[in-house]
Amino acid sequence: MDHTKGKLGFREFLAIIIITFGTKLTDNTPTGLFNKVGSAAWITIILMCLLAIIPIYLLTKVITAYQDQNLVDIIYHLLGKYVGFFVIFVLWLTETYSIVLSSSMYTDIIETMYFVRTPTLYIYIILIGVAAYGAKKGLEFIGSTAWITLVGLNLALFVVLVLTFYLGRLSYLFPILGNGIGEIIKEGASNASIFGEFLYLGFIVTSLRSNNVYRKGIWTGFLYVSFIFILSLIAYIILFDYVSIVHLNYPFHESIRYIQLGFLTNVESLFLPFWLVASFIRFSFYLYISALLFGALFKINQFKYLVPSIAILIIFLGLIPEAPVFSLINFREKLVYISTPIFYFLPLLLWLMAKRKGVFKK
Amino acid sequence: MKNQLCLRQFLFLISMLLMLSGCWDQTNIDKRAYVVAIGIDKGEDNKINISYLITNPELSKQEGASSEPAYEIITFPTNDLISAKNTANSVIAKEITYNMLGVIIVSEELAKEPEFIRYMYDVTKDREIKRNKTMIITKEDVKTFLTENKPKLETRVHKYFEFIIENAKNAGLIPDFKLHSYFSITESDAGLFLSPYATTEQVPGGKYTVGEDELLAGELNIEGDSNTQFLGSAVFKEGKMIGTLNGEETRLTILLNETLEMGEIYTTYSDPFNQQYRISTRMMKRDKNEVKMDFTGYIPVIDVTVPVYTDILSTHSMETFDNGKIEQLKLHIEDEINKKLNNLIKRTQEEFKGEPFGWALIARKKFWTRHDFEKFDWMNTYPNMKVNVKVMVTIGTFGEQSKLPDLSEVRD
Repeated sequence: MDHTKGKLGFREFLAIIIITFGTKLTDNTPTGLFNKVGSAAWITIILMCLLAIIPIYLLTKVITAYQDQNLVDIIYHLLGKYVGFFVIFVLWLTETYSIVLSSSMYTDIIETMYFVRTPTLYIYIILIGVAAYGAKKGLEFIGSTAWITLVGLNLALFVVLVLTFYLGRLSYLFPILGNGIGEIIKEGASNASIFGEFLYLGFIVTSLRSNNVYRKGIWTGFLYVSFIFILSLIAYIILFDYVSIVHLNYPFHESIRYIQLGFLTNVESLFLPFWLVASFIRFSFYLYISALLFGALFKINQFKYLVPSIAILIIFLGLIPEAPVFSLINFREKLVYISTPIFYFLPLLLWLMAKRKGVFKK
Repeated sequence: MKNQLCLRQFLFLISMLLMLSGCWDQTNIDKRAYVVAIGIDKGEDNKINISYLITNPELSKQEGASSEPAYEIITFPTNDLISAKNTANSVIAKEITYNMLGVIIVSEELAKEPEFIRYMYDVTKDREIKRNKTMIITKEDVKTFLTENKPKLETRVHKYFEFIIENAKNAGLIPDFKLHSYFSITESDAGLFLSPYATTEQVPGGKYTVGEDELLAGELNIEGDSNTQFLGSAVFKEGKMIGTLNGEETRLTILLNETLEMGEIYTTYSDPFNQQYRISTRMMKRDKNEVKMDFTGYIPVIDVTVPVYTDILSTHSMETFDNGKIEQLKLHIEDEINKKLNNLIKRTQEEFKGEPFGWALIARKKFWTRHDFEKFDWMNTYPNMKVNVKVMVTIGTFGEQSKLPDLSEVRD
């Protein structure tokens, strides 16, 4: 009997991490940073990565101390029934809120950049519909899709980056500190929740083959994601210069419209499918996590059946914001300010409690 | 049971095919009118006159030559670039699209308006116009330019613009700035933007010059069927056109500006051994300019060293060179370029009060934060800076046959 059947291996886990975090640099996450720190956005990312190491390290240590228990069980065990419920509820709320925001934003990208005439509702239904289908199929399905498409997606991204570096001018990176060192530290510290979703990876730890897979996956994924994040932010600046970049809504999409592949001029339609596939995987994973947390809160074992209802809820909430380009960036900033403290302190709290309860001694 | 499952999956996949058609954004390529050049002229009040050069895609077909003309030009007043698409449909049968847009052409009259920049930002709003296109400035109205411009051998007009810009750029006669540079240079407010300058109106008889490139479009005396000239550049400061640079100045700007790529430039210099004649050379850049800046003193100083690689192509003084003469020639060319560069820099400092040489980009490395750099105020400091230019010429080949006969012996 093979016990590993239906569980994720290292490569599938890694692929999920890379795709869910990698797609962030194609939406308006970089825009928020450029608005605040100008051309030093890439330095801010380095700082953020360094800051993110601590919570991720603490969390990994706590999670790997347990066997066959995911973060839900761990939180209940360490924080008790009531506080645990509250913490998971808050996590579910921020997660679902962030799905609403980002799906709304992705719909906006598709609508303004590619399909101008298609009604928003239909774009939204297709985006979330496909993602819900994936989430309903389960984690194994998401993992293997992520792994199959990983090479293609990375290849596409690197073609974009190489062409951007070829066209760009490194001197656009200067003045190197952008809006100043104070701004870098402030934004670096308060925006660290870009890596906040590393918390949610703890909820699927029981679906992984072993704790070792989890530890290896988290760190490899973290390194790789940081690397492409820094590279892409540099690429955007050297292509557009430090003042113009602030005015762009979606730097990635503006870049793929700017570059040329030899004699091929309209290459954005070539990269669009890759980006769409990555987005589908990202939302599938988010929806899966959201359903899992909801199931954990209200003791629903067959939580996969929650996916369609959550998906419909998300579509209706996501359609509410008016003028999404401006409103979403405000909402996102608020979310970032709420979720960053959670990302810093929850792992610390769990680690302290684990220490008190003597979990590490076993 | 298994068959039923297969059937269901199959039906599901078939239904997915319907999505591929893309419903609302579905367009047929033969139902669109492709605008390859947009012309913008000054209109009445706050309006602009827009001209569309619409190409006829049927011409590219290999079989069955069509009797339709290669392109169509329409001009009408409008408020902006984007709503113009709809207005045009009162005349043009097909749906207007900017997808195949090659160039944006603006008349000098409109470009010199302070309001011009407002119309330019439409370009960033429309998703069909990309930022890697070229903007051309014309001396006359764009409407006249487009109707007068009749390339005889390039009937596919979109290819014409592509080729002429490409080759005039390689010859250094027009600058290689993309539309995006207009925005990035204007927004960072530190340098001047250059745009190709063109015209179909020839100055009667042309203008006489000693060299071959001290001309602006329209001043070159060319007889024949083609009457359009792309020569020189329009200078933009803070998004508004403030003057022009002739062909020679454009070439020198390309020589100084590291962000512009320099092709092989064929040019002539006076012959140091016989003032009557000129020697023709091929200039290339093999190394980068060395730019040193010193902002510590009261007057900021810029030291520029420009390495130039030169091939001597023809010498009408029939001189055969030896080492001493090569050295003399080298000094002479260095001196001549140096003088020209100094004149150009002086002109930018006094007339334009800004620099198109991309030095602001190099200066930025000297500052830590954006705030420091903006406080330094590059644009307003530049006119008072001291700029020292040094040209270093390396002489390469002397053509296929390097020795020439002594004329006095031949004529003997």
